Amino acid sequence: MTKETGTGDMTMTDGQPVVLAERLGKRYRRGWALRDCSLRVPAGRMVGLVGPNGAGKSTFLGLLTGLLRPGAGRVEVCGTEPSGRHPDPRISFLSQGKPLYPQFTVEDQLRFGRSANPTWDQAHAEEFLARGHVPAGARIGTLSGGQRIWVALAVALGTRPRLVLLDEPLADLDPVARRSVLAALAQQRQRHGTTVVLSSHVLAELEEVCDHLLLFAAGRVRLAGDVRELLAGHSVLSGPRTGPIPVPARCVVDAAKTGHGTQLLVSPGPAALADPAWRHRPPTLTQLALGYLRSAHQEVAA
Amino acid sequence: MIWVAWRQQRAQLIFLLVLLVAGYAAMLLLRGSMQTDLAGLGGCATESAVSGPCVTRVSSFKDSWYDLLKAAEAFVLVLPVLLGMFCAAPLIAKELEHGTHLLAFTQSVGRTRWMLSKFAVAAVPALVVLLALQQGAVSWVDAAGRLGPLDSGPFEWTTFGSSGVAPVSYLLFCLAFGMTAGALARRSLVAMFTTLVTFVVLRVLLGSAHGMLAGTQRLVSDDPAKSPGSETAAQYVESGYLNAQGQEITVEAAQPQISACGSRGGAPLAGDLTACYRDHGLVKSYLDVVPSSAAASVHWAEAAVFAVLAVLSLPVCRWALHRRP
Repeated sequence: MTKETGTGDMTMTDGQPVVLAERLGKRYRRGWALRDCSLRVPAGRMVGLVGPNGAGKSTFLGLLTGLLRPGAGRVEVCGTEPSGRHPDPRISFLSQGKPLYPQFTVEDQLRFGRSANPTWDQAHAEEFLARGHVPAGARIGTLSGGQRIWVALAVALGTRPRLVLLDEPLADLDPVARRSVLAALAQQRQRHGTTVVLSSHVLAELEEVCDHLLLFAAGRVRLAGDVRELLAGHSVLSGPRTGPIPVPARCVVDAAKTGHGTQLLVSPGPAALADPAWRHRPPTLTQLALGYLRSAHQEVAA
Repeated sequence: MIWVAWRQQRAQLIFLLVLLVAGYAAMLLLRGSMQTDLAGLGGCATESAVSGPCVTRVSSFKDSWYDLLKAAEAFVLVLPVLLGMFCAAPLIAKELEHGTHLLAFTQSVGRTRWMLSKFAVAAVPALVVLLALQQGAVSWVDAAGRLGPLDSGPFEWTTFGSSGVAPVSYLLFCLAFGMTAGALARRSLVAMFTTLVTFVVLRVLLGSAHGMLAGTQRLVSDDPAKSPGSETAAQYVESGYLNAQGQEITVEAAQPQISACGSRGGAPLAGDLTACYRDHGLVKSYLDVVPSSAAASVHWAEAAVFAVLAVLSLPVCRWALHRRP
């Protein structure tokens, strides 16, 4: 049940994809954490990597950074296969929990970035500190979660990467901080053409900013592609609670019965509906994602 | 990366510096004060008198200094394992616990370089501190001469472990092993405990294998009832008897013969003990020792074992780092 779009003309105009995965898989002792993952992400996108906990998002990011080695298939990032031994300076990664050296001062933490990277832009890194009103002399251990994210972003983006991978960067932030972080990332993408991948198990917060969606569930990619194309390729049908549905069953991604009637998420998108009892409208990103997540859940349960 | 490693270990390194200065100064002061006491002993300091006025003066000198000297030696002996536990074991384990290793691994830093720079920044200062404190302790102990722990010979456990190449080899092992244990266990406390236990076990095993490391010297007495005399400084390895063919009979194996010749129930000995032993087939007695002159080669042999284990630890650590994210 993988839906992939955006591999056509979009990729042609954007040139080489930043991320290219072919039947990528990773297996742990307890089973496959990620399986049969084939997708491509064009350059310069703001990518939402969405899925419930345990969907394989962190594993996927680990494979992109080279921290994990694929158990199956292959992956290319910025045109090369990622290697844990020689991290690519064009790729930045902020892992879950935003690790920073607690005993360092903010200044020291930036100096770490400077000494560990051949491509370091101090002024650019300091912009992020200024945005978060983080005092440069403060010890990391004394900062609030809302301040730590800015230091983490400064370290991750101070290297001027082509691709930045952020694993749950918005977790433990208040709504105001989330918005300003997303705004900063959007600006980074716009000004520097950086491809931004951010994972979250809350789709709603990504809906406004992301133009590319990767939806994972139970270790598989359920939906991958350009957000506009994905939305255009689906529609939501509302109709009576009982009676026949107006589309072939294979088109139905997800069906939900509510008090008012039946709501169907169908693919492909709008077509002339013969039955006047049914109305259709374009789905929101949340509806789309929820539909696929629910169907994935039922598939796993079955 | 050196800067990062230095910045991370700054607090520890400052503590080491304080330890070095305080420890060295304390030993210098104590040594000076001891030398005043030594001068006060006058001729008694060199005489091995068994009676007369020197005995009380020498024993009062020993009362005030012997334990302190022994403590200085013991400090140099345990310093390597303490440094291994507190400086090396958390080196990688703490980063793994906090997830900060990912900072380095995902920046443009190779894992091997990261590991080696951390190790170097921990090892070099530790080595300097240890060597300086060892020098301080050894020169203090030397100043006491036969009135101090040196009287018991080079194999006395504190003297052996605090002199020659021993402390440096212990330190290299404890640091490399501690760091590796941390990378494998991914928990500081587990790594610290493992380092301590492994070092103690190795030290005890190697301590009981001195004979194998440097070879033993066999002393034979023609009188089976008397042990061959040896220098008190030599390390005892084994003793027993020889039969007429020159074959060894251990003390346990000789028990029936010994008890046949022994006194029973307070009854007086049946004649000449030597003749009785000989009659029962115990012709000579022997004693295997490691002579004190072999102390240096035992040191080097033991150091070689520790150094090899230290060097082998590093690739294991590297493998552990490359194995998992």
